[in-house]
Amino acid sequence: MHAVDGVSFDLDEGEALGLAGESGCGKTTTALALMRLLPYNGKIISGSIVFRGRDLVKASDMRIRKIRWKEISIIFQGAMNSLNPVRNIGQQIAEPIILHEKVEEDEAMKRVGELLELVGINRDRRRDFPHEFSGGMRQRVMIAMALACNPKLVIADEPVTALDVMIQAQILELLERLRKELHLSMILISHDLSVMAETCEKVAIMYGGKMMEVGKTVDVFTDPKHPYTQGLVAAFPDIRGQRTMPASIPGDVPSLINPPTGCVFHPRCKFAFDRCIAAEPALADVTPGRRAACFLYPEVSEVPPRTITMEVH
Amino acid sequence: MIRVRDLKVYFPLRRGLLRELAGRAALWVRAVDGVSFDVKRGEVFCLVGESGCGKTTTGKAILRLVEATEGDVFFEIPTEEYRRYEELRSRGAPDAAARIDAIRRKYSFSWKEQLAWDTQQILTWLGAVAAAFVLGLGPPAFAAAVIPGALVDTGFIIGASLLCGLLIGVIASLPPTRPSTRTPAGLALLSILAFNLLPIVAATGWPATLPNAPSDALGIWARVWGSASFAMLLGVIIAPAAAGGASKILLGRRRETEGLLGIKMRTLRRRLHLIFQDPYESLNPKQSVFEIVSEPLVVNRIAHDPEEIAALVSRSLEDAGLRPAEEFVLRFPHELSGGQRQRVSIAAALALEPDFIVADEPVSMLDVSIRTEILQLMMDLREKRGLTYLFITHDLSLAWILADRLAVMYLGKIVEQGTAEQVISHPKHPYTKALISVVPSPDPRHLAKRTILKGERPDAVNIPSGCRFHPRCPVAFEKCGWSADEVAEELRSLSAGGLLPEIAGIQAQDAGTVAIVMMPGMSPGSAAANLRRVVSENRDSRLALKGIADIRENGDAIHVTLEAWAEPALVELEPGNAVACHLVTRPAEAVPTVTA
Repeated sequence: MHAVDGVSFDLDEGEALGLAGESGCGKTTTALALMRLLPYNGKIISGSIVFRGRDLVKASDMRIRKIRWKEISIIFQGAMNSLNPVRNIGQQIAEPIILHEKVEEDEAMKRVGELLELVGINRDRRRDFPHEFSGGMRQRVMIAMALACNPKLVIADEPVTALDVMIQAQILELLERLRKELHLSMILISHDLSVMAETCEKVAIMYGGKMMEVGKTVDVFTDPKHPYTQGLVAAFPDIRGQRTMPASIPGDVPSLINPPTGCVFHPRCKFAFDRCIAAEPALADVTPGRRAACFLYPEVSEVPPRTITMEVH
Repeated sequence: MIRVRDLKVYFPLRRGLLRELAGRAALWVRAVDGVSFDVKRGEVFCLVGESGCGKTTTGKAILRLVEATEGDVFFEIPTEEYRRYEELRSRGAPDAAARIDAIRRKYSFSWKEQLAWDTQQILTWLGAVAAAFVLGLGPPAFAAAVIPGALVDTGFIIGASLLCGLLIGVIASLPPTRPSTRTPAGLALLSILAFNLLPIVAATGWPATLPNAPSDALGIWARVWGSASFAMLLGVIIAPAAAGGASKILLGRRRETEGLLGIKMRTLRRRLHLIFQDPYESLNPKQSVFEIVSEPLVVNRIAHDPEEIAALVSRSLEDAGLRPAEEFVLRFPHELSGGQRQRVSIAAALALEPDFIVADEPVSMLDVSIRTEILQLMMDLREKRGLTYLFITHDLSLAWILADRLAVMYLGKIVEQGTAEQVISHPKHPYTKALISVVPSPDPRHLAKRTILKGERPDAVNIPSGCRFHPRCPVAFEKCGWSADEVAEELRSLSAGGLLPEIAGIQAQDAGTVAIVMMPGMSPGSAAANLRRVVSENRDSRLALKGIADIRENGDAIHVTLEAWAEPALVELEPGNAVACHLVTRPAEAVPTVTA
């Protein structure tokens, strides 16, 4: 199964990139691949992940272990399930600090106090257990944990899903503030486009494991080029817009085991023509600063057919 | 079509046995705390709010999936009857209660016959005592009849002990019928004492007088005591179940025949239906689509003929957009996509041709690109079948698109109600305003100034006094219901900041006063003057200080008196648009009321 297929993007220092798409489009797999955390049956077949001049795909396990959490950290989806229920949050946040910074527990605990204050939790609560926190507070704990070793890049995987709108706004504001204060780069993964509209400079739209469109958030949302992006943007109801039923994209998300031939989106695309069924479009610049993978634009070329041989264990 | 009046749903909080015996006041989770609204035929009424605001509980209470604690849910009540009900409620005529009950009995889902306390008690007791007798006397009598002579000397004692045990168990286990009555600790003590004393008395008194008493009285005494205590223990253990069962049957029989319950409710329930949030969990994985959709038809005995059932099922499926139906009937839920599952849920809800559907977050688990199709389907069905929806959602942008009218809930109460234009385009309540301001918009050009509220929703057990939103409200003022604890807390934090050097201690005295103790040697006069200055300087940044009405020296201490407050009522400002906020409506009569 090709969960993620031919995804490329750049992220500058201090920049926030949004990775958007529906469930099963490969957003989380991309994030896990970036940290080399794929499950045992997942494998990076080809490509490169260059982080500050170093290719993470080729790096040794030892090297990766040093980079993981120290330089790249992740806020996992679902704070409810990502915290250990039998250890207090202080211990959980201190763990990576002790491992990476080689400091004593006392010093690590001091840092835990600072981190908790940073995310807006009273430092006296570090001895509390996860069940004593509300959903929003647990998410803050997860954020503190991700920031424990002063990383350069934070990947936030659906950080506000399953939270109330008001708590969502609080968490997004916190992330935004921390990003400015600590000069973090961030990859924000979400199925909710409206969350990205307010936090990310750049956005990448994924569908069926492939990248459909990349560009500046404002441009992508106001003038989407790819038919899928157009459909997706139109499908969100807008409380500040017209009171009309949002448009829908007919059909269902494709199965990644039997992906459609050619462009993955063609079975649901209203502009699809012969070429879309026969060949796969490559991501190309359609306007300055905007890349899309759709044959509607003459700049877009075909992806050469690939054969991947892989050993099956 | 549906009128909800003052609906309250409270859930009791479980406590430990010791606290129960100590008899402290019961704690309640006030999930829904006085909600009133009407849903008109053919409209989409939205209930919006954050999680835990009571919207789902309201929806379930309307369908009687949870029992309402108080209040009425009227279904298709004629206008004149309803008008009479309102009149009776507001005026309070001498026989008003009986006449209101007559109306409620006919039309209200939530009406339960309120038996007089003694009647209910007698019914409960009758059942319990009957059960105790049957259980206590039956087995020994049976044994005596079957095995002649086996239990002659000790059987009666054992039987009596069992009976005693049962009665004690019954008494101790009876539920307190009045909310204020608690199981007294004395009763538990009594049962333990009796448990040991009675067999002793019985065993020492009886063997001597029994005919053919053997000479070894001590041996018999020990034997009888042993078996009698065992019988009594057995009695105490079985009794609660027996008593509970018997009295439930007696009370239940009476209730079944009254009001919109039992068979009458079952016929009504066909017209009301529910669509759940999560299509992955609300469908039984072991049932095929056919079984899921046909089950309500079979249970409600709508159709018996297999062909008729098949026809109705395929009609429902096709109405729900699963075409052709033959392709889906034999599938199981895991063979369907998320959108298709939700369509099956809708088809199952449609099978009985209901009039009214409570849709609890029907699309929140679905991907955006298929969400609209489900919503469109629901709206098409409204046109086609004349459905009425109560749409429960946390997503204000969905409510904006779907709702004809909507109500915003906060902590079990409606804070604002009106048409979508009234509430969303021109919100009046500070909570609605804040909530709308933080709803993200997919169009970056629509960026608005966000009002992010501090903190989180308070616990529904300890609901704040006055307006329940005031601790988080950015524009709260004097009359919002600041409690002594909140003001004392704020003063303490000022004191900790070094602004009040003369003050040694701050204590909330009663609901309306905070007492302040001076440092030794400080004069209350200058301290009060300083306190007044500090309070007036910080009033705008620390809103709790606005609750202070007066600062007065009182001997060696300072008394801080708080403003009087009242809980804001939902007041209609324009036709159909009601808001519960003192800032918008005129502050009500400043009579302190204690709701907690």
